[in-house]
Amino acid sequence: MRFTRKTGAFVALIATTALVTSGCSAGGGEDGGDSPDALTIATWVDIPETLLEQFTEETGIAVEINSFADGASAQTVLRNGLGSNGAGLSDVHLVELDWWTEMMAVPEDWVTLPAVEDRWVDWKVSQGSVGDEIKGYGMDIGPLAIAYDSTLMQAAGLPADPAGFTEFIGGEDATWESFLDAGRQFTGVSDAAWIDSTSTAFQAAINQLPSAFEDPDSGDAMPLADNTDIEDLFTLFGQAAEDGVSAGVGIGHADWDAGFQARRWATVITPAWATGIIAENAAGLEGWQIAEIFPDGGGNWGGSFFAVPATGDNTEAATELADFLTSPDAAVEMFLLNGQFPSQLDAMADPTVSETPNEFFGDQPTGGIYAALAESAGDKAAGGYRGVNFAGIQTLVMDGIRRIETGNEDTSAAWKSTVSEFDALGLTD
Amino acid sequence: MTPLTPAPRRVGFSRKLSRWDIKVSPYLYISPFFLSFAVFGFFPIIFNIWVALHEWDRRLGQGEFVGLDNFAWVLNQPAFWTSLQNTFSIFVLALVPQLILSLLIAAILDQNLRTKTFWRMSILIPFVVMPVASAMIFSQVFGQFGLVTPLLHDLGWFTDVDSPFFHNRFLSHVAIATMIVFRWTGYNALIFLAAMQAVPRDLYEAATIDGAGRARQFFSVTIPSIRPTMIFVILTMTIGGLQVFDEARVFDGSGSGGTGQGGSDDQWLTTVLYLFNLGFGDWQDRMGQAAAVAWLFALVIIVFTLLNFFLTRAIADSGSRPTRASRAAAKKLVAQVRAEANAPTTHAERPTLTEGSQR
Repeated sequence: MRFTRKTGAFVALIATTALVTSGCSAGGGEDGGDSPDALTIATWVDIPETLLEQFTEETGIAVEINSFADGASAQTVLRNGLGSNGAGLSDVHLVELDWWTEMMAVPEDWVTLPAVEDRWVDWKVSQGSVGDEIKGYGMDIGPLAIAYDSTLMQAAGLPADPAGFTEFIGGEDATWESFLDAGRQFTGVSDAAWIDSTSTAFQAAINQLPSAFEDPDSGDAMPLADNTDIEDLFTLFGQAAEDGVSAGVGIGHADWDAGFQARRWATVITPAWATGIIAENAAGLEGWQIAEIFPDGGGNWGGSFFAVPATGDNTEAATELADFLTSPDAAVEMFLLNGQFPSQLDAMADPTVSETPNEFFGDQPTGGIYAALAESAGDKAAGGYRGVNFAGIQTLVMDGIRRIETGNEDTSAAWKSTVSEFDALGLTD
Repeated sequence: MTPLTPAPRRVGFSRKLSRWDIKVSPYLYISPFFLSFAVFGFFPIIFNIWVALHEWDRRLGQGEFVGLDNFAWVLNQPAFWTSLQNTFSIFVLALVPQLILSLLIAAILDQNLRTKTFWRMSILIPFVVMPVASAMIFSQVFGQFGLVTPLLHDLGWFTDVDSPFFHNRFLSHVAIATMIVFRWTGYNALIFLAAMQAVPRDLYEAATIDGAGRARQFFSVTIPSIRPTMIFVILTMTIGGLQVFDEARVFDGSGSGGTGQGGSDDQWLTTVLYLFNLGFGDWQDRMGQAAAVAWLFALVIIVFTLLNFFLTRAIADSGSRPTRASRAAAKKLVAQVRAEANAPTTHAERPTLTEGSQR
């Protein structure tokens, strides 16, 4: 009896100790060097099976995918992992340009990757570097285009073929103004909206600015009240929103996929990586096409990098995997699967990319169209400067546009409230 | 003391040990809870103060000591005050129907139904559904092409805006409150049901003899009898209801390019969602401010819960709870009756009566 009771106490003690220590005992393991049995990749885009099998064949290392519903959830996990010294991180992480700066706030968190000569367009390499250390291998870039529903155009009695549509929104010299005016014309004769969301177009326009919210030299936020570039764009898109050109439903919104199926809007701002997403949401619909020009000469939205967290157990093998996944051949495979436009020079030149017809977009060679758009964008193709506060300020300003879109405020009131929200943050004191 | 021989010493030691054993091991048995509470509950609460008093970067961690600056910053943010208003508005919109519905459901389940267990389990199904899953379904229901919006359009309301639930502040609160009601009504109904089952059946018999109908019995017998449970449920609802997060966060389809953060005009930004946006959202360096929000909000909840407690108790007291004088008189009367009837206790009678009433 006495024995059992003592044993009981002992077991309780062990259990308690185990409970307390188990929280801290994770981790350890070997560092770099030895080749591991398996590597993990955190991603929200599909990676071709054949590619992963090929890697396993070559190296004997299995690859496991930690798949996320969208970039935002992958971002949250990465944020929390970095904040807790690498707990819960995968060996290789896909990082989108939009939140690249934030993740690179502490460059030591990431393995410096060896340079690979002549693989990428120059600006992709400099985007993926902190100082002169390469922190991410480019996967894709996001040349901007406009996808439009030719069925709706036809029904409205407006030009429906890509050349005619291009002319309709302003031809070679198209600007946001001419694009939105075309929208006013369209909504005059159609029940559908011109664009899914004004805020998406507004965000694309922000991406064309060399420095939208922050001073590239100091990295500090610029006072929004004095930011005439943004105010002009805000007014331009705000007034269009007041005129009802927009359905007010952005990508990711609960109504977005249903809106496609109900043919609620005629155009969507479509960076190359969004072609796959649109094809998925608009599945079964015919008539979607890609226009051949972009307002104000085009630009870049997003595009992703593979990066290796320095806290990982197998950084060496992980680097190898990141290298493998961003080879020109891999980029071509990715393009065929998801429609992401490669950032690799050889892949861009590959006829498979430029000539493969896209079934969803009426057999248009989307790769070739995006290549031409990226080229015509020139310097803007690299996108503007982004500091650490970019995402926060952008959300604030986009919310301002959404308030106009929903009829809660008119343009000047929305700008005023946006500025006062910005001021309340105290970023420029 | 004389030097001890080995044998008695062993006895002495083992006795000592077994005394310790009796004293200490119960604490060890319950210690896992307290240790895990200390690690995951108490420590974060205390550490939160530390964070709130410093500049705090998500990645870099602790920065300079700033005193109460974070609190001042938060109190200066219009969004904080909006979030408090939203939280209370959603809370009230959810609490009232929840109370009424769960009381009604409990009252129905308290009757003699066939397949009791089936009904009792089925009302709990919404509670078992993941909150995020139910929120996603409801955001479809309230979406532009959902069940409700076309109905509103047909009635000629809100036709200018596609889905008013994502735009109109009040309607977005209604939508989120609906999700909360959906999730928690069954749960609360079960608690009420448990309380109702404990109401002595002879009270109902007496009420029936007095000619009270079902409705009258519900209001005059059931409700007064389960007051303590109602106070408990209302308090837990208050604490839980003020912490609305999941429903608001997932309402318009999460943060991927959509707003996902409480609406463009902060229409459904609740305080916990605001805290989340500050600490884990677009800003790198707002952890300190988020911690300050947590503390301010904890204060609000404590004050509000106390207020609610006294209010509920006051209402319960002023209702049918007899005054001290009448209680004394009643006691005397009961004693008199008991003595006359020579009944041993009332408890002994109850089981037979209960059985009779259930037959």
